[in-house]
Amino acid sequence: MEIFNLSFWTFVGVIAGIYTIFALGLYVQDALTGLPNFGHVAFMALAAYAMAILIVRWQVSLLLAASAGLLVAVAFGILLGVPSLRLRADYLAIVTVAGGEMVRYFVLNLQDLTGGALGSIGMLGPGNLAQYNTAWDNFLTPITAALAPISGSLASRDFAMFLIVWGTALVVMLALWLMVRSPWGRLLRSIREDEAAAEALGKNVFGYKLQVLMLGGILGGLAGLLLAWEIGVFSPDDYQPTITFYAYLILILGGTTRLWAVPAGAVLFGVLYSGTRFLNFFPLSLIDSGERAYLRLMIVGLLLIVLMAVRPQGLFGNRKELLLK
Amino acid sequence: MKHDPMLEVRGLRKGFGGVLAVDDASFDVGRGSITGLIGPNGAGKTTVFNLVSGFLRADRGTISFDGRRIDRRPAHVVARAGLVRTFQIPRVLTRMTVLENVMLAGRHQPGEVLGASLFAPRLVARREREVRDQAIEILKLIRLIRLADDYAGTLSGGQRKLLEFGRALMTEPRMVLLDEPMAGVAPPLALQLLEHVLDLRTRRGTTFCIIEHDMEAVMAICDRIVVMDEGRVIAEGLPAEIQGNERVIEAYLGRHGEGAAGDTAVRAEP
Repeated sequence: MEIFNLSFWTFVGVIAGIYTIFALGLYVQDALTGLPNFGHVAFMALAAYAMAILIVRWQVSLLLAASAGLLVAVAFGILLGVPSLRLRADYLAIVTVAGGEMVRYFVLNLQDLTGGALGSIGMLGPGNLAQYNTAWDNFLTPITAALAPISGSLASRDFAMFLIVWGTALVVMLALWLMVRSPWGRLLRSIREDEAAAEALGKNVFGYKLQVLMLGGILGGLAGLLLAWEIGVFSPDDYQPTITFYAYLILILGGTTRLWAVPAGAVLFGVLYSGTRFLNFFPLSLIDSGERAYLRLMIVGLLLIVLMAVRPQGLFGNRKELLLK
Repeated sequence: MKHDPMLEVRGLRKGFGGVLAVDDASFDVGRGSITGLIGPNGAGKTTVFNLVSGFLRADRGTISFDGRRIDRRPAHVVARAGLVRTFQIPRVLTRMTVLENVMLAGRHQPGEVLGASLFAPRLVARREREVRDQAIEILKLIRLIRLADDYAGTLSGGQRKLLEFGRALMTEPRMVLLDEPMAGVAPPLALQLLEHVLDLRTRRGTTFCIIEHDMEAVMAICDRIVVMDEGRVIAEGLPAEIQGNERVIEAYLGRHGEGAAGDTAVRAEP
């Protein structure tokens, strides 16, 4: 593939935008409030599954199914939070890993409902290909058509997605930016710094943590919906814990305490992750392409280690904050 | 004063595993008083604070604040009722500025509601200006104003104690529990802190309950003193009464009579 293949980079851009929204959910939970969530991917999975199941099995309208998807993700946030939010951060981290994996195993095993290992195409049972994406594609078609005169050769389904995804990401970022700067954001940071202090000053720490998990659920769920619509098919394998770690990577790359670093981290991650597929020149060309795929992951890892060694605060982080105890 | 208690503790009991940290403790803190809570290490003083402030739940006993039961209430509800505490090891929010630390404690901030800054930005901003002015006043009072924009994590131990005290004031409390406010604070700062305590009591009628090992300070500013030992309240009274109390001297020096020269025990250290 050519390195300047525009449609390829549009696709990378869409994914980076979706990951931006996904990582913003984690930003609110972990970077802002200090709640580690290693099962953040479960929000993604639940929203996508709820949306697709409602559409495929009960022909629910797209908007309603999408809202229900977000609602399920939020409900999971509450379910996860109520018993576990009183735990210390490290124990909470363990619970969230388990919570995320439970979701994946449930959807893997509730075959009749979820299609099991086959994923979304198996939702209607064997021999009956399920397709949840028709309504979304119908929604995209006129947009793509409307874009054609303006954007010329760029006009494609992915380009429409690109605009929708980044438009959504921008709105989310703007709203979060305003909220983070407000007393609400200050309160969340105080919970991150020392929740006993916040509690002693009359702040309902548990209530705010629950709010944050719900907000994480909405953003994670939104990313899940967009990803499902972009790709058109999904299976339990798409919701491996790795996805959560990618979001953590994005936060770390950008610098965990800066909101605007999240999209930058997501783009950098997208470029590192996809861009390495162009490492097909000599001597790397000696290795066959299948093995080069693994090499890619190793190079991403190596680059991350180098970045952390040189700039531990991330691209836009504040080194001073790193040193305070 | 005894008949108008701000805080009433009755039959309070708390065990950790097999150890009874607080064992049937009862005492009052008079409205507008400065009450000292003293006793040797491990007497259960901090546990009493944790129970009263809602950070721990008592196994038995009742706690009433201004006539209302507050045992069984979560800590933030107790704080909102006007009973605020500080910690023995100050809990400052290190990666937030000194000013933010104090502003956080502001009351009635509608901006703390999720999304309020999006839907009612004016309301939030107006209250935020008031809170900021109030916080700046407090920082001037505790003389940390020139560090207002520094991260609280850069403060010294003594400054952190002051900051925590200032934060408690910011909540406009009716009663403050101070856990060793002067330990580790440089003498001039400590003196300042005592002045603020006395001043607040006079101006606003704020009630204080203070755990402190500096006997000179305790005897100087407290109206009443409650003495604890091994989880029990062993004496309660005016500073002068406490100083001569046999049981108190015994608690501080051991109960086998070895420390016979006990009468200097709870006197002021030079």
